[in-house]
Amino acid sequence: MAKEKVQLIVDGKRIDGRTPEETRSIRIEAGILNEADGSAYIEWGGNKIICGVYGPRECIPRHEASPYRSIVKCRYMMSPFASLEEHGRSGPSRRSTELSKVIRETFENLIISERFPNTQIDIFIDVLQASGGTRTASVTAAAVALVNAGIPMKDVVSSVAVGKAGDELIVDLNKEEDNQGQSDVPIAMSHQDRKILLLQMDGLLTRDEIAKMVEMAEKTCDNIYDMQSAALKKIYEKGEDENIEW
Amino acid sequence: MEKRVVLPGEKIADGRAKIPHTFFDGEATYAEVIGTLDEEGRYIALESAYRPSVGDTIIGIVTNIRRAGYLVDLNLPQEGLIVGRDVKVKLQRGDIVMCRVKMVTEVGDTELGEVRRLPRGKVVDFPPSKTPRLIGRKSSMLNLLREHAEGDVMVGNNGYVWISEKSNIPLVLKAISLVKQKAHRSGLTDEMAEMLKKETQG
Amino acid sequence: MGEETKDIILSYIRRDVMESTLEKGVRFDGRGFDDYRKARVQKSVIKTAEGSALAQIGNTKVLAAVKFDTLTPFPDRPNEGVMITNSEHLPTASPTFEPGPPRENSIEMARVVDRAIRSAECIDVKSFFIEEDKVLGLFLDLYVLDHTGNYTDTANLAATAALTNTQIPKVEDGKIVRGEYAGPLKMDVLPVSTTMVKINGVWLVDPIRDEENVAETALTIGTTEKHVCSMQKDEGSLTKDELLNNIDIAFKSGNQLRNIIKG
Repeated sequence: MAKEKVQLIVDGKRIDGRTPEETRSIRIEAGILNEADGSAYIEWGGNKIICGVYGPRECIPRHEASPYRSIVKCRYMMSPFASLEEHGRSGPSRRSTELSKVIRETFENLIISERFPNTQIDIFIDVLQASGGTRTASVTAAAVALVNAGIPMKDVVSSVAVGKAGDELIVDLNKEEDNQGQSDVPIAMSHQDRKILLLQMDGLLTRDEIAKMVEMAEKTCDNIYDMQSAALKKIYEKGEDENIEW
Repeated sequence: MEKRVVLPGEKIADGRAKIPHTFFDGEATYAEVIGTLDEEGRYIALESAYRPSVGDTIIGIVTNIRRAGYLVDLNLPQEGLIVGRDVKVKLQRGDIVMCRVKMVTEVGDTELGEVRRLPRGKVVDFPPSKTPRLIGRKSSMLNLLREHAEGDVMVGNNGYVWISEKSNIPLVLKAISLVKQKAHRSGLTDEMAEMLKKETQG
Repeated sequence: MGEETKDIILSYIRRDVMESTLEKGVRFDGRGFDDYRKARVQKSVIKTAEGSALAQIGNTKVLAAVKFDTLTPFPDRPNEGVMITNSEHLPTASPTFEPGPPRENSIEMARVVDRAIRSAECIDVKSFFIEEDKVLGLFLDLYVLDHTGNYTDTANLAATAALTNTQIPKVEDGKIVRGEYAGPLKMDVLPVSTTMVKINGVWLVDPIRDEENVAETALTIGTTEKHVCSMQKDEGSLTKDELLNNIDIAFKSGNQLRNIIKG
């Protein structure tokens, strides 16, 4: 991790003016796509992510199918125009491959896959605009899309990154804090039974710091759950199907 | 009656309750899809993938002919099978059939019986969890639709809807998308009646 | 049965019913033969790009984003910048789109849109020259997000709208200064495309997926205010009279789409 001398915390405030435990603004919309079985769009700070879910559908290739359960597949992709810097490459990278895997493993804990043997469930995540914390925003959006698709699940998951910058523990790292901070710990947690379903970390932390950070993540996940829940319920309450403003 | 929307993982009942789209963890019963829960503890799924069960009426399209019989697309991950000797008429690829689910195996293979071939028409897919609204109480919605479209419409539990070629197809399609959008709201029947009246008066 | 195979089988049974409906003078969604679905454009939706637009025709949605990088020019045009168009048929957009490298339909879409913009000469690529062996490269990415038919026209609408919304980055010491701009990209000419399909002898503008699946002939015509700037025939055949008639229709509906871009 780069250790540039940038003041990430000044007088208890972060560079974007937030307090250590404050999240960026989050907006979630469910069911925004016509063709997908379930979908969600999330704007989280400078992140804009779209997620579509298909399934359960026929498992292709067939030899991957299981007669005991549905196979969960996840594809996380970053668009070439997602960052302010140069035009990226399209197609999978080492990073997107790893993230696709850990996101899939998050949902494999929740999806009641025995319900649909010999099938697959696809989770497609496309990051259209990125600004730190895309994997946690992706997990949050994918959870909404899966519920919207009517995929049977044991619980709903919410996700946020906690970290350390300027020797302070902080919630929801932005891009600068992610790049120049001391530590980054993305966490996803199920709402009802409080299990940690996604956990990664870089940097150096003590045992006590980690205990505190998980607590901070848990509290934030509760707030995010409320937003996910509100987005899903809105579909069944709103009047005319409004068009989504991006 | 007061209804609230519940999400997967929310408790529906203490102990084991035999309600579709729920799971039991040894102590209580929980929702596994988004649904509504009323004051009397009735839970109804709002979104769910269809799983055939014996006795369901479903609509399918013959896609292939095998020695054992006919393969039928049911808008499901796996095709259904009509055993050849169970049908008197010869079916062809593209034929639309209405049948009853005779048997479902543990791995999702479906065998169909009581086969009836439907005349030429358009087949559209519709969310299976919302078909009860499209049919209405004692088929009220469906009959309203048939009357205004001046032709036949059939709804399968699997979500396939067949619209007779002789009916006003664009009108039925419009009505179907109205139900799709507002299946969960009250006053749907009135709104539908109004729309159909307006459209057919030109 | 794969989703594509299913689409093919369903299209066989759709054809008869589609034809008998068209004989009554109506389309499945109630439109007239020459009518577009409702089209709209939202500009500047992606802040990390130098230009962007989300276009919607009916429920088909395409996002176009423009980004600049510095590149080495093509040896035969050392003083001109470069435009590179890519398309992504996101698997989210349709059950028939599969993840993986671009398939032929996706590549064709990018090339058809690219040709319309290039031939319209709406972008002054000479202004992209920086210094010897260094020019600005314009990357145009087309993301099909939701496909209910006619992604080509939607992509073209999004692309042109995104270009009208593009800022040319500031260049210092041969490097792009990210987040600072030299000024807007000049776009005086607005190329858009109009796709038509023929079913049972009738031409339909802006086909939905049901119509695309049973089309005998498919034709896309790109227009500017004054000129035809691209043509692409997919399956099927047509006569000279049909072509000329379709060009008239393309200009008419092209002007409607241009008005939507102008806002």
